[in-house]
Amino acid sequence: MAKNITAESNGERQKTRLSSTTILFMFLVVMVASFAVLSKDFYSVYNLSSMLTNISFSGIVAGTLTLVMIMGGLDISIGGNIALTSCLVAYLYNLENPPHIALIILIGLLLGTAIGAFNGFIITRLDLNPIITTLGTMAMTRGMGYVLTQSRSILILENVVGFIGRGSIAKIPFPLILFGVIYTILAVVMARSKFGRKIYCIGSNQEAARLSGINVRRVKFITYLVSGIAASLSGLILTGQTAVGMPQHANGSELDVITAVLMGGTSLAGGKGSVLGTLAGVLILGVLYNGFTMIGFRYVHIRVFQGAILILVVSLYEVRDRKRF
Amino acid sequence: MKGVGNIMTDNAVSMEEEQKRTIKDRVTEVFVYGKSMAPALIILLILLIAFFGIMTPNFLTYTNFKAIISNFPIIAIMSVGMTFVLLIGGLDISVGSILGFTAVNVALFHHIGFPAWAIVLVCLAIGTAFGSFNGVIITKVGINPVITTLGTMALARGMASWFALDIESLKLGRIFDQKFLLIARLYLPQDKQIIPITLIYVIVLYTIMSLVLKYTDYGRKVYAVGSNEYAARLAGININRIKFSSYVMSGIMASIAGMILVAQLSLGRDDAGLGSELEVITAVVLGGVSLAGGKGNLLGVIISVIILGVIRNGMVHLKEAIGISYYWREVVKGAILILAISIDAARLMAVKKRQVVRQ
Repeated sequence: MAKNITAESNGERQKTRLSSTTILFMFLVVMVASFAVLSKDFYSVYNLSSMLTNISFSGIVAGTLTLVMIMGGLDISIGGNIALTSCLVAYLYNLENPPHIALIILIGLLLGTAIGAFNGFIITRLDLNPIITTLGTMAMTRGMGYVLTQSRSILILENVVGFIGRGSIAKIPFPLILFGVIYTILAVVMARSKFGRKIYCIGSNQEAARLSGINVRRVKFITYLVSGIAASLSGLILTGQTAVGMPQHANGSELDVITAVLMGGTSLAGGKGSVLGTLAGVLILGVLYNGFTMIGFRYVHIRVFQGAILILVVSLYEVRDRKRF
Repeated sequence: MKGVGNIMTDNAVSMEEEQKRTIKDRVTEVFVYGKSMAPALIILLILLIAFFGIMTPNFLTYTNFKAIISNFPIIAIMSVGMTFVLLIGGLDISVGSILGFTAVNVALFHHIGFPAWAIVLVCLAIGTAFGSFNGVIITKVGINPVITTLGTMALARGMASWFALDIESLKLGRIFDQKFLLIARLYLPQDKQIIPITLIYVIVLYTIMSLVLKYTDYGRKVYAVGSNEYAARLAGININRIKFSSYVMSGIMASIAGMILVAQLSLGRDDAGLGSELEVITAVVLGGVSLAGGKGNLLGVIISVIILGVIRNGMVHLKEAIGISYYWREVVKGAILILAISIDAARLMAVKKRQVVRQ
């Protein structure tokens, strides 16, 4: 009898714990349905596919930032990284003797790797505050973008880069395919692999993780590295979509990305969160921007909503957690 | 007798050790373990001025000196608020946006026809409102200050753009109210125009706030909360009230900086102060205020604000003299920020190590 009761209460607890991501997806469905009613253009194939293509650019970075934040870190340099990658790729393409396009793309990705390695090295070796460190990297990378382009926009009309941003395979936009593949990999890694478990472990208690034999520095370093690579990949997608490399690209995108991750239930303190939750957060934000624009709100209005939503959602999570304990 | 002899020799040894302390030791005493970053920063400032003076012809001129002096008060005033926030162990990245929102509101209320004094009151109310909002969310709801102020940053900047957009005539946001413009354009000996009023604001503000931090009950509580929140609470300090007040201070300082910026430019735009939070945080951390809280003073902060002002101004002259792109300043800013927190971390580590050795 007693066993039954505990099993039941356990079951109930399991239910409430499961619901966090489920509620988000239910909310998403409600939002999509209401926008479809409010605006007749929302539910068209063209709008949905363009919305999803837009989402995939910031969504990829949100996925890897989830890993960083579950680990208890933060990476604000992603916006600057995206801008510098797009500037560098466009700059190299417009040289007098441009290298092969495959080489240019490789250099772009290597740049992101280097920025990620720089962040990772400084944060793990010198043991510095990740927020301020990546704030510094953000200023440095965006500044280098300005230096490289002299604050101009550089046109890049190139098929391969264009394909990364605008192409499609079997009518599915290529960025969306990238988005799907990366999220599948990240979800599997976080749920099934040793590396994923290590990230959760470091996020919940770094000292305990170190004492249990996890190479904390290496795991942290790799995570920041992955975040850097994903940012430069997003930079390539954005360059392809806009056909232009400019230092103002993705200005303030770190706010979108962090909002999406927090909305998905990842806490800044680390140890909590999931890639699936972030997926829900990214989709909700994307639908919100697109839907409100369709209804007739302007960008600045949605920007205000976004700030309010960020504070509101995090407050809700905080209050809910306080009730549980 | 033996005992006395021992004491004598001990004394002699310690005297000898005292004499053996080389210049190097004394230098580390001041620069590594010292409470203030001020000595190191003054040396850095002199080196920078010498560097720019040698490299460029127009840097060491009276006109340029005046330009630097009229430019740095905005960052200096915001840095006071940020110092309080960092001292209690928090962070406020919404200051740049609060500045922008204030700037738009100056233009808005000027447009409606408010007199100068009413505009000033409205702006102070705006700063207080945003600061209180941050404070309530951080202390009562218990959300991480970075996330809270990130949200406020989006909120304030979004509202600034919104207000600027809704009123068509605000597109330029020109301010012609002479009384309001005097907030930043008054020069003290009225006939000679030497000392700008903004410099006097800075001097008065830094003097008062330094005294508050050092000698008042409130100031001591700020340090206590920052160094050990738990101990401060056990000692009977209302930590939430201290934290709340520092965020309000930060908001008010941002709105004052916004008014001064608008009065200097006679222009209230929604992109005013974009990215200035980065410069403010850099200045405060470089000034020796620890990110961990409870450590640092305003003397270091004001020197590092001047250092950043000199660098910003010097980069323009470098472009004229040798053609180095002006845009390098962003890169330099980011590099200085990372350097500043590295120094902060190294100093903390050195002090900790010494404490362990002494024990």
